[in-house]
Amino acid sequence: MIGLDVGSRTAKLVMMDGDEISDHKVINSRHWRELLDIFMKEGKTSSNISDNVPGNVDGAHDGDLICATGYFRKKIPNYCNITEITAAIYGVRHYYPDADVVVDIGGQDTKIIDMRYNSFQLNDKCSAGTGAFLEFIAKYFDIDVEQLGTLHATAKNPAILNQTCGIFALSEMISCMVNEDNIADVVAGMHNSFARRISHMIPECSSVVLIGGVVKNGGIVAALSDILDCEILLPPEPQIVNALGAALYGDSML
Amino acid sequence: MNNFVPLSTLQPRNKLCAWCAIWRDTILARKVDIDRLVVVAGGDCSNALNDGERVSFSGIPTSYFFYPFNGNTAMMKDELHSLCTFLGGLQDKSVFSRIEDIKKQALELDRMRVNDEISAATCFGKLISCSDLQGDVDAFAKSLMEVSCTSQIVEYTSRIALIGLPPIYHDFHDIAASFGLHIVYDELPYEFVRICGNSMDELAENYATYTFSRSLRFRLEFLKKELAMRDIDGVIHYTQHSCHHNLEDDIMRNEIDKPFLTIQGDLPSATPEQVKLRLEAFSEMLRGKGIDRT
Repeated sequence: MIGLDVGSRTAKLVMMDGDEISDHKVINSRHWRELLDIFMKEGKTSSNISDNVPGNVDGAHDGDLICATGYFRKKIPNYCNITEITAAIYGVRHYYPDADVVVDIGGQDTKIIDMRYNSFQLNDKCSAGTGAFLEFIAKYFDIDVEQLGTLHATAKNPAILNQTCGIFALSEMISCMVNEDNIADVVAGMHNSFARRISHMIPECSSVVLIGGVVKNGGIVAALSDILDCEILLPPEPQIVNALGAALYGDSML
Repeated sequence: MNNFVPLSTLQPRNKLCAWCAIWRDTILARKVDIDRLVVVAGGDCSNALNDGERVSFSGIPTSYFFYPFNGNTAMMKDELHSLCTFLGGLQDKSVFSRIEDIKKQALELDRMRVNDEISAATCFGKLISCSDLQGDVDAFAKSLMEVSCTSQIVEYTSRIALIGLPPIYHDFHDIAASFGLHIVYDELPYEFVRICGNSMDELAENYATYTFSRSLRFRLEFLKKELAMRDIDGVIHYTQHSCHHNLEDDIMRNEIDKPFLTIQGDLPSATPEQVKLRLEAFSEMLRGKGIDRT
């Protein structure tokens, strides 16, 4: 079974061998088709994606079945597809069956899923709590987005940022730079502001699982850990959890 | 305006609720030909009073209608008489029973959709129009009759109550149905249908129970009875950007013991992809694709 999560920024493929991940890969979303090509060339799958049509579980197909999720899920040949919200639940349960809440910080939105009460919230009115915002900030500072977490770790006196809007938050950060604040302190302040924004959406709970590409940024994880009064759980590969969830869901449908 | 706003391409000049801002800007731009404006300034939309006043400054005679928060029927009657006078007085008392008959017909449509005999979209279109009868009592009555003779077979996976405001997305009910969500209750339009009367006294007594104008406790008490009768699986709470109903969301969530999805709309359009994602995910959850803890 292949779980394929083609999101707004990256495509993630997870290949299962029984209950375990046998292989995975992440690529830019625009090139999602290449993911399958790569796996086929490497002899890891014989999946002919055109064999994947809804409901074609028992019909003729040469290779692995695909369960798709993410923004592009319905554009991908698949025998079944599910929303990222359901995929996240399946993926997170694989690691933490008793966790309360999932926080999935993606490129274009943030999803808060309360697994206890069957409810979820998405932010899509503002970019300030998304990966797009972090990319925007990294671009301004002319650094790679991966460096944000490293800078955060060296901050001594994080700046206090109050703006709720992403654009005006940058204006505030520029003001900090005008006042000759240390860039690491400004970045840490930005992460804290980012985490505060997300925390308003998170219900009181015992445990939160962080997933999505953004939580590879240690600064965001540190800021959320400081703000949230609960156990913070981080899966080994947080970016591929939805693809894993899709694969597990697809498997459960067989 | 219920029929106009969801098809509007007008971008209101401020970012308050588009339901309200669009009727205001439409009138100010003289895109609808009206002689007078009646604004429900109390007990419905909190922005309407200010928007009505803005219209009045443009020279259009404006009357303000206030529902009593405490359900006082004497006050309700005074308001109805003031409205009647503003509109030129009561000309023909037979209109009471005429409208009552139409609303009975609309209630029959509501019953049909609860019994899965008519689509939510078809039912909603008629129920929401019971606010103004589309400006033509006879034509509307005829269209109601035609629809109620058209029985459909509705297939779905979950029964939904849609509370709060009517969605500003013109295809919302159809989109929900495409994900297996059969909307069996439209809270606000149902108010337009269930309330009527055969005299000013009866109207005053019945309209004093208009739930949106009353306390949240009153509204919730009514709501819970309706939800129980309609055997729902989940609730969608639809509100608008910058609408005071957003502030009620957490209370509603806490008081209504059902899976709950909140959707906040903005400008009129077809249902956006972000909203579709929410509806699809909600449908998946209601079908149990992920809710059982193992």
